[in-house]
Amino acid sequence: MTHRIVVNVETGVTTQVEYTAEEQAVHDAAVAAQVAEAQALADAQALADAQALAESQATQQQTNEPT
Amino acid sequence: MAMTLDGSASVTINSGAVLGITSGTAVASTSGTSIDFTSIPSWVKRITVMLSGVSTSGTSNYLVQIGAGSVTTSGYVAGSQSGATYVSSTAGFILVNNITAADLFSGIVVLTNITSNTWVSSSNINRGGSAVLPAAGNIALGGTLDRVRLTATNGTDTFDAGSVNIMYEG
Repeated sequence: MTHRIVVNVETGVTTQVEYTAEEQAVHDAAVAAQVAEAQALADAQALADAQALAESQATQQQTNEPT
Repeated sequence: MAMTLDGSASVTINSGAVLGITSGTAVASTSGTSIDFTSIPSWVKRITVMLSGVSTSGTSNYLVQIGAGSVTTSGYVAGSQSGATYVSSTAGFILVNNITAADLFSGIVVLTNITSNTWVSSSNINRGGSAVLPAAGNIALGGTLDRVRLTATNGTDTFDAGSVNIMYEG
């Protein structure tokens, strides 16, 4: 479970407060969204790289063709 | 005539304020998604949040949030500078930006009660010996401040190094 650290300055007591089930669900959804966003960015970058490579190779092929 | 005040158990004045500076309890910032300092007395007018070698698991910017009864997560007018990059935040007093998970942060954040329930902040945080990042902001709370939170903007990064403490005074 995820938790937060709470320091009561009046008593000096430090406690580790576990997330409630509801807070944990919100946390897990946020993490999943971050992972999905990172994956989408990686996929978009991979696609852009592949397209750039394909265009480069096509240009190179045209250059190499005998006239 | 000389007067001696025995401050061994602190010295208070009529409003209940403790004279001098009161230190909180330093806590290791090595786990959890936030570190809260609660039950801050109502007479406090200035709070110093101290970070020593603090790090998190991710790249989300750090925030200091304050609150009255619960942590306030909106309404801040705040910003942080990193080189030419300025990042604003309404979710909290943003401390640093453009960070990596490996960065260790040290420095202080000073929160000052300018009037009523309005607080202003100013900080200078050293990023692992590579830069000092200034930040500042303000917010008007709906009540009397009683808590301070250190967390990351995304709310999910976890602390994995360093220590944090506060000092407060009336």
